[in-house]
Amino acid sequence: MITPMTRVQIVGHKRDLDATLRELQRLACVQLIDAAQVHPGLHRYAAIMEQQEMEILAYLRSRLEALLALLPPLPDEIPEPWPEEDLIPRIQAELDAYASDLEALARERQQLINDADVLPSYAATLSKLMRLTPELTQLREYETVAVLLDRRAVGLMDMLAEEMQAIAGPYTELVWDQVDPDHIGAILVFPREVAPKMNALLGRMQVTPIALPESLQHVPFQDALAHIHQRLEEIPRELETIDAQLHEAARRYRARWLGAARTLSQRLEQLQVRKQLGETRHAFVLVGWIPRDHLETLRQHLEDRLPKALVIEELPPTAEETRDAPVLLQGNRLTRPFHFFIRLLSLPRYGTIDPTALMALFMPLFFGLMLGDIGYGLTLLIIVLLVRRHLPSGSGLRDLMTFLLIGSLWTIAWGFVFGEFFGDLGYHLFGLHPLWRERSEPGALASLLLFTIALGAVHIVLGLVLGIWQAWHLRQQHELWERAGKLVGLIGLFLLVGIIAQQIPRGWMSPALAAVIVGLAMLLYGLGSVGALLAPVELLGVLGNVLSYLRLAAIGLASVYLALVGNLMAGKMGVIWLGVLIAILFHTLNLAMGAFSPSIHALRLHYVEFFTKFYEEGGQSFHPFGASAENNA
Amino acid sequence: MELGLIAIGAGLAVGFTAFGTGYAQGRIGAAGAGAIAEKPEITGRIILLVAIPETMVILGFAVAAMIMLLLPGG
Repeated sequence: MITPMTRVQIVGHKRDLDATLRELQRLACVQLIDAAQVHPGLHRYAAIMEQQEMEILAYLRSRLEALLALLPPLPDEIPEPWPEEDLIPRIQAELDAYASDLEALARERQQLINDADVLPSYAATLSKLMRLTPELTQLREYETVAVLLDRRAVGLMDMLAEEMQAIAGPYTELVWDQVDPDHIGAILVFPREVAPKMNALLGRMQVTPIALPESLQHVPFQDALAHIHQRLEEIPRELETIDAQLHEAARRYRARWLGAARTLSQRLEQLQVRKQLGETRHAFVLVGWIPRDHLETLRQHLEDRLPKALVIEELPPTAEETRDAPVLLQGNRLTRPFHFFIRLLSLPRYGTIDPTALMALFMPLFFGLMLGDIGYGLTLLIIVLLVRRHLPSGSGLRDLMTFLLIGSLWTIAWGFVFGEFFGDLGYHLFGLHPLWRERSEPGALASLLLFTIALGAVHIVLGLVLGIWQAWHLRQQHELWERAGKLVGLIGLFLLVGIIAQQIPRGWMSPALAAVIVGLAMLLYGLGSVGALLAPVELLGVLGNVLSYLRLAAIGLASVYLALVGNLMAGKMGVIWLGVLIAILFHTLNLAMGAFSPSIHALRLHYVEFFTKFYEEGGQSFHPFGASAENNA
Repeated sequence: MELGLIAIGAGLAVGFTAFGTGYAQGRIGAAGAGAIAEKPEITGRIILLVAIPETMVILGFAVAAMIMLLLPGG
C-alpha cells in the first residue's frame, strides 16, 4: 500500500537552523518542499552566506573522491565517523598532507602500465629494423631515424634517398627492406646538424618517424632494445611495490576518508536544502512531507534534542495538494519484491490504489500456470535458491529471483494439477496422473482455453471493480461512468457468448442485450464528446483484454509440447547416454525459455490488461532529506 | 481432405498473425532498445509497448482453436 503522508511545518529561530537541519538529516523522514509556495507571502531563504561554503565543500568533496578513486577498495569497509567541527580546515589539512604523494604514486603506476603496454611494440619494431643495418646503429656522431611504412609505399624510397642527398650530400645513408609481409622498414642516417631539415623533409613527404620514448630517443637502437627488454623485466616488480604501497594507504586512510566524504556530503546537503526554506528577519520556516506515522516520532525527537526551540505542527494538505504528495510504497517480505515491477513502469499517484499485493498474488500464479511442470518447478526452485543467496538485499535482481521463487512453487503446484514432470516423463517413470487434466491430451484444449478465459475475466472484472471504487473515492465522475459501463457491457457480452454457445438459456437474451446497451450508454457518457465513436471500440477492447489471457494456455501448450518432443526424441535415440543427452538439452532449453517467456507475459498481462482498468501512474518517489547524503557515502 | 483443410486453416490463422506480431515487435523492439539506452527508466513502458502486438497472435491462436474445436471433423 501507499504510505499515508501528511505535511509538517517547523518554525524556529535562525540560530537553531543548523541543529534542526542536522537532526532532520539524521532522521531522514521529511521531504522538504518550497515553503514560499505553501505560504505565498513568505520570503524564500537567501542562502547568500552559505554560497561560498558550498563551493569549497563541493571542491573538497571532488578532491577527496578523486583521491579515494586512487586507492583500491577494501572488502567490508565501513566509513569512520568524521566530526563536523572545523570540517573544511581538517579535510584541507588531510589533503595537503597526503594528496601529492598519493597522486605521484598513482602517476608512476600509470606510467608503468603504459610502458608495459607500449614497450613490447617498440621492441618488436626495433627488432625488425635491427636486421637491416646493425653496424649503422653504432654511429654516434650521426642522427638515426627509423620509419616503418606500408609496403605499398616502396616507390617513396628512391625519392627519399634523392632528397636526403640534396640536403646533406654524400654524408647520408638510407637503408630499407621489407621487414614483414605488410611493412617495409627504413633507417635514415644523416649528420646531426641537418636534423631540422631532415625532419622537415619527412614532414613534407608525410613519413612519420618511429617515436621512441623520450629516454631512448638519442640512444642507438641496439642499446634501446636492450634497455626495453630490461625495463619489461623490471616493470612487474615495480608495479607490485607500488600496489603494495597503495594497498597499505587504502588500509590506513580509506575508511577515514569515506567518512569525511560522507560528512562533506551531509553538510553540503544541509546547505543546499536551505533554498527551500522560508524566512522572516529572525525565524526560519520549513515545510515538508512526512509519513503520517512518523510525525509523532519527529516531534518527540526534536523536542528532546532542541527543547522549546521549535514550533512543530501538522499542516494538513488540501485534496488538491494531496495529489502532489510523494509516494512511499509499503509492503511485507512477500510483497516488497514486487515493488520492483511497479517501479519498472511508474509509481502510482498518491491516493490511488497500490496494486503490489494483487500483483504478488496473480503474477507468480500466472507464471506457474504457464510453466506448470513439477520437474521444471523443482529445478527452477533449486537454481533460484542458489543464486538468490548471493544477491544483495534490495537489488532488482534479487527481487526478480524472489518472484521466480514464488513462481516456481506455483509451477510445482500447477504441475500436479496437469500431471507433468518434465513433460510426460513423470507418467512413464512413476505413473504420475494429473489432478485435473493433462494439457497435451487433445480433449483438454477446450477446457484449458475456457479456464484461462475465466481466469482472465476474474482478473479484468477485479481491475474494473477496483477502478470503480477508486473513481468513486476520488470523485472522478467520468472515469466512474466509463469503468462501470465497461463492467456492465462486459457482463452483457459474456451472457451473449454463453447464449450463442448454448450454455445459457435463450431466455437470458433480453437481459444480455440490455446490459450491453446500458453499458455502451454509460461508456458513451463517461467518454464525453468522442464517446459515440469510442464506446464500442472500448467495449470490444475489454473483451480483447479477456481473450488475451488465452496466452496462459498457449504458452503453456508450447512448453508442454517442447517437453514431449524432447522426451520423444530421447526415446528414439536407441543409445541410452545419447537419449539422456538429448533430453537434457531439450529440457534445459525449455526451462530457459520457460523462466523468461512466462515472466514477460505475466508482467504484460498486468501492465496492459489489468493496470489499464484502474492504475494511475505519475507518482513522485519519496526522497526524504538526509537519504541522499547517506547514499553518497 | 476436410480435416487437412481445417488444419491448414488453423495453421494459417496462427502463422499470419505470428508474422504480423513478429514484424511489429521487431520494429518496436529496435526503437525501444534505442530508447532504453538513452533513458533506462522507461524500461517498463517499452516492455508494455513491445507486448501490445502480441494480442494479434493470441487472437490468431483463439481463432485456430475455434477452427479445430468447433468445425465438424475438427
